[in-house]
Amino acid sequence: MNFVIPSFAPAIPEITLLILASLILVADTFWSKRFQNATYYATQASLLVAGYLVLSSFSVEQVFTFNDSFVRDSFADVLKLFTVAITLGIFLFAREYLVQHRFMSGEFFVLGLFGVLGMFVMISANNFITMYLGLEIMSLAMYAMIALRKYDGVAVEAGMKYFVLGALATGMLLYGFSMIYGATGTITFPEMKAVIASGEADGIVLAFGVVFVVIGLAFKMGAVPFHMWMPDVYHGSPTAVTLYLGTAPKLAGFAMVYRLLYEAMPGLVGDWQQLIIIISILSMVIGSIVAIAQDNLKRMLAYSGIGHVGFLLLGVIAATDDGFSAAMFFIIVYAITGVAGFGMITALSRTGFEFDRVADFKGLNAKNPWLALMMLIVMFSMAGIPPFVGFWAKIVVIEEVVKAGFTWIAVIAVITAVISAFYYLRVVKSMYFDKSEIQGPVEIISPALHWGVSFVAILLLALGLLPGSLIDLCYLSI
Amino acid sequence: MNLLAFNLPIVVLLPFIAAAAAAYSAKFNRLAAAWVSGIATIISLALLIPAAAAIFGGETIIQNWNWLHQAGLQFAFRLDGLAMLFSFLILIIGLLVIIYARWYLAAKDSMGRFFAYLMMFMGSMLGIVMSENLIQLVVFWELTSITSFLLISYWQHRKDAREGARMALAITGAGGLALLGGVILLGHIVGSYQLSDVLASGDLIRNHELYLPTLILILLAVFTKSAQFPFHFWLPHAMAAPTPVSAYLHSATMVKAGIFLLARFFPALSGTDAWMWLVGGAGMATLLIGAYTALFKHDLKGLLAYSTISHLGLITLLFGFSSQFATVAAIFHIINHATFKASLFMVAGIIDHETGSRDMRKLNGLLKYMPHTAALAIIASLAMAGVPLLNGFLSKEMFFAEAVSFSQGNSFAWIIPVLVTIAGVFSVAYSLRFVHDVFFNGEPIDLPRTPHEPPRFMKIPVDLLVIVCLAVGILPMYTVAPILDIAVTASLQSTPPEYSLALWHGVNLPLIMSAIALGVGALVYFRRKPLIANYERHEHINAKQYFQKILAAVIRFSEWLSARFDKGSLQNAAAWTLFATLVISAYGFISFNSPLLGDRTLLPMEPVSMIAAAVIIVASILTLAWHRQRLQSLIVIGVVGLITSLVFVKFSAPDLALTQLSVEVVTIVLLLLALYFLPQTTPKETGMSRLGRDALLAIASGIGVFLFTMMVLSRDFSSISEYFLANSVPGGGGTNVVNVILVDFRGFDTLGEIIVLALAGLGIYAMLQGLHINPHSRFRINADAHPVILQTFSRLMLPLMLLVAVFIFLRGHNLPGGGFIAGLIASVALIVVYLSNGIEWTQSRLRVDMHMVIGFGLLIATTTGLAAMLVGYPFLTSAFSHIHWPVVGDFELASAIAFDLGVFLVVVGSSVISLVQLGQLSHKPENPEGV
Repeated sequence: MNFVIPSFAPAIPEITLLILASLILVADTFWSKRFQNATYYATQASLLVAGYLVLSSFSVEQVFTFNDSFVRDSFADVLKLFTVAITLGIFLFAREYLVQHRFMSGEFFVLGLFGVLGMFVMISANNFITMYLGLEIMSLAMYAMIALRKYDGVAVEAGMKYFVLGALATGMLLYGFSMIYGATGTITFPEMKAVIASGEADGIVLAFGVVFVVIGLAFKMGAVPFHMWMPDVYHGSPTAVTLYLGTAPKLAGFAMVYRLLYEAMPGLVGDWQQLIIIISILSMVIGSIVAIAQDNLKRMLAYSGIGHVGFLLLGVIAATDDGFSAAMFFIIVYAITGVAGFGMITALSRTGFEFDRVADFKGLNAKNPWLALMMLIVMFSMAGIPPFVGFWAKIVVIEEVVKAGFTWIAVIAVITAVISAFYYLRVVKSMYFDKSEIQGPVEIISPALHWGVSFVAILLLALGLLPGSLIDLCYLSI
Repeated sequence: MNLLAFNLPIVVLLPFIAAAAAAYSAKFNRLAAAWVSGIATIISLALLIPAAAAIFGGETIIQNWNWLHQAGLQFAFRLDGLAMLFSFLILIIGLLVIIYARWYLAAKDSMGRFFAYLMMFMGSMLGIVMSENLIQLVVFWELTSITSFLLISYWQHRKDAREGARMALAITGAGGLALLGGVILLGHIVGSYQLSDVLASGDLIRNHELYLPTLILILLAVFTKSAQFPFHFWLPHAMAAPTPVSAYLHSATMVKAGIFLLARFFPALSGTDAWMWLVGGAGMATLLIGAYTALFKHDLKGLLAYSTISHLGLITLLFGFSSQFATVAAIFHIINHATFKASLFMVAGIIDHETGSRDMRKLNGLLKYMPHTAALAIIASLAMAGVPLLNGFLSKEMFFAEAVSFSQGNSFAWIIPVLVTIAGVFSVAYSLRFVHDVFFNGEPIDLPRTPHEPPRFMKIPVDLLVIVCLAVGILPMYTVAPILDIAVTASLQSTPPEYSLALWHGVNLPLIMSAIALGVGALVYFRRKPLIANYERHEHINAKQYFQKILAAVIRFSEWLSARFDKGSLQNAAAWTLFATLVISAYGFISFNSPLLGDRTLLPMEPVSMIAAAVIIVASILTLAWHRQRLQSLIVIGVVGLITSLVFVKFSAPDLALTQLSVEVVTIVLLLLALYFLPQTTPKETGMSRLGRDALLAIASGIGVFLFTMMVLSRDFSSISEYFLANSVPGGGGTNVVNVILVDFRGFDTLGEIIVLALAGLGIYAMLQGLHINPHSRFRINADAHPVILQTFSRLMLPLMLLVAVFIFLRGHNLPGGGFIAGLIASVALIVVYLSNGIEWTQSRLRVDMHMVIGFGLLIATTTGLAAMLVGYPFLTSAFSHIHWPVVGDFELASAIAFDLGVFLVVVGSSVISLVQLGQLSHKPENPEGV
């Protein structure tokens, strides 16, 4: 045979995840009637297995396989481990929510598991096709999860909007892929980098290819001006789904940005840096200003997420190893904070009551001081106030963008951080100073969730006090 | 073990530990919290003492540990003269405040919470003054904002406390973020966040192009924290805090943090015109506004608040002078102001505590009720006024002297001594008011409580502070001189100039200015009635209102923006997305200067392609024209799809053509099913402007896509097809290159694709399962839903069609066909049966759960790959051999066929699952859920 036999070992976690997900999919039809929680436990166990497989074969070497379409490196492994950890948390919170809101079904977990598979593939993608496949596996799972609650018109509408706009953006991304393929004659990232560096590829075709790729990325990350779907989808989805959407996929999205812009097209930095600067600034400004007007906490967090993407892109603008490391730290912190924030809403909601308005948090301190304190930590961390970990996340990316010589962007970033602190503090003010509008106690029904929420919130503080190892991890993996 | 090696972090961390201990111990005993706090403070002080000898010897102690070495950060503490001075102020005044607060707080106030907050605040302040690392300094800086917020809002039931706390946090917290920006820039300029490095690179910083932004960001932090004009307005509102808090925060600590930064960064940032104008200007404005306003406040604490603002302005102004002598005066005044202001706040607290009021219009003649307190208040106020033999006099005299010497260089600068004298006049006047209105001036007017002396321990802290005021005022050389000297040395980072702390310098201009201030000040006080009346007529300028107005404006702007762009409309969002794309790519077109079209010669046109293109164009236009009639537009869309498959035929891709054809059929059938639930026509578009907008976007997108296509087509590019053509038979054992690529070369991708397809099927199932929609009311349903001829015919056709599918499947590896196409054909066959016979009929016979079909499909595809691994080959390696079948002939059996079977099953499962769900929508579900 005159073509290389691909090595199978690097993709064992993905393949195992696929097999387990397929098995659960089949098994769910048998056991879902009899054992309500079987799929849930099977899903969590699968995640643990996948996590273990990644961890046990962790290596700092970069390995390519399947005709160079798949790459395994420490960057991928670290992000996959965090994806697994975060998804474990998401499912933990989600189960109680699904039970409370009477749409407990195996599909949620199976779709979620397939979504994780998509994220894994995205994180390890080394060519356009693998990247696209991962993206679609993840996105399709998410479209379906949003609309899982069929009689909830808002949720179905949100799923519909996400699907239509997502298809539009995917189209643009593919368009960009095809142009770059046309110009370079390759779909594999390292080869692409070499062709671009050699200067043989046609500049103008490449430039437009980059424009469309960036547009696609901006949409998937939810950056302005392609952010329109975020508020509606975050708001409209059942909170358990919002929790999923708002956290784990961000890691995969960042991996996509890293692989495409930095591993495949570092030679075109002049083309994409300008675009990313515009997108980053618009995201920070719009995200911070519009969030102020939101009464719904999920919608507010959507805009806060838009602003955070703007901050993430600061590290991308720097276009250096350190810049991407800083962005990686930022996105991991954001995902953890997201689990805490959305997890709090998920855990507090109960049958017939979503608990997702800012007004619902009024007087929380009087009713439940411990939860108020936990929420305060989450809000302060998101606002970037020390000693919580959100502060370090903001610092590292701002530092990198300054190092790269874009001081004026850093100044804008700091100003938007000040503005955004305002609406996080508004939540804190509501909790501590306003009078509760809710009759009866406010508490988390399941003790597991109570401790879950507390654990994640305290983690934000602990990481804030000792951020060294996580920062090191991110700086060493790129 | 050398304690000196790590005592600094312990000094800083101890108060935090004490905070936790205080909160905990208060559960057992109300007073335990106070004891814990007091003892922790004393231990912190004791830990500093061993270092004192070295510091007084002129050394700087730095203790650091690696913290975030990737980010260049260290956990580093620094103790030099300046840090020592501030630490002593923080700890000693802190101790006095703790003693005072223990007696001040009422029985119903939570002691644990109060002392926990207070100790956390103390720790944060110590952290600021002892930080060697600048990022660490910012962390502690923000911690003081948060803890002061908690302290100010301690009485949460009071609205003014909540609002005051919020304002203080908003202003100082924002300032902290500005400081972060400034510090990062500073680190960028110097290349290190260590204070030692920064202080040593003053010239580098001042000549750097980023000097001005750095300076402005840092000054924003200073001005917000130290309540300098125009950010001074938060401080008076923070007076809603319990008085011990005010005494602590607004004399020696919180507001001095900003001043501390000025002193700390003096060698690095000062000496430029920008520094002089910004720092000096803000200081002068604050000095005057504070002194003037203080006179007119009837609230005791209000008066002290504005007086504090004024004195902070004085210190800032001194730093603005940028001279070494001025720095000496500034640091001296920091010490003096801390002592007399802390004692005055405590006196105000005593009066409030014992009389129930702080209104100077009611409080009169308290001298005879509380003579001891009165004596203390009088001495402290005189120090504030700058009367000789008290500490305030010395530093004020130095301040006047600096103002005079600064004015010599410039012909217009004579205004400076005049202005500071005016400020002095008001300062004397409000000090007099504090003394005369409260302790003399007739009898008290209906006070809530009968005034009497407070408990002894509430007075002891004040006693001690007042003794300090006197001692420093009379014997400066024996009391304050050593620590002042080392603090100044540390601040300047060089040997201080020769200065004199003598009481008598002879009759000179500063002395005359003091005399004028005293004399005119007394005069102003005794003519205060018309002044106060005049002030109150014009008291409409209230900074708090502006703050609220700005806040409201920001919210309104945000709501406006939100209403404009966040409409929740899909069309709107799609239009925006397209618009943004167009703008970005138009920018690309304009900014690129290489030719758009390449130099490849285009192929000649030929009639068949022209006709196909014409049909596509006509079909697209018809779709647009008939888009309101759903059925018609669906049919013409089908035409577009069919022409596309012809295009594939033209470019010799029969596989793609077959796939396109079958996909087209399945999608059209599914869409037709969906039409059943929709009205026959789409609603009319609302408004011409929207139509126009969409038309413009569509035309622009069309032009853009045309240009891109031309751009790519007119350039040469190398094809990858040769590789696959050459390797298809030897590597994959098949002559149908497309199929070999799908199941072999790129088998991994195909595996991914069928997962996507499976997910799509599952997604549709998840969304539609159990959902019930009534068919649209205007839809007329034929009574004979399943005509007999159609039924019979389709049942007859089913095996035949499935056979075709099998045929296509088996030949796939060498001739056009394969699992994907076969799957689609089988789906079409099943769909026809479903349509003609009804769902119930078909389902009762086809009892396979399509979930399982999908699941097995995925499993088969994956296990094929794994099987290869079992025999020692990597995942998805294909094995093949030839067998001769009786009828079919020579047949090549490749393991890829098993993989293809997986593809086939997933395709069938996904299509049928979607179809069945769509078809079932009009049937009532057995147990509707979630309604």
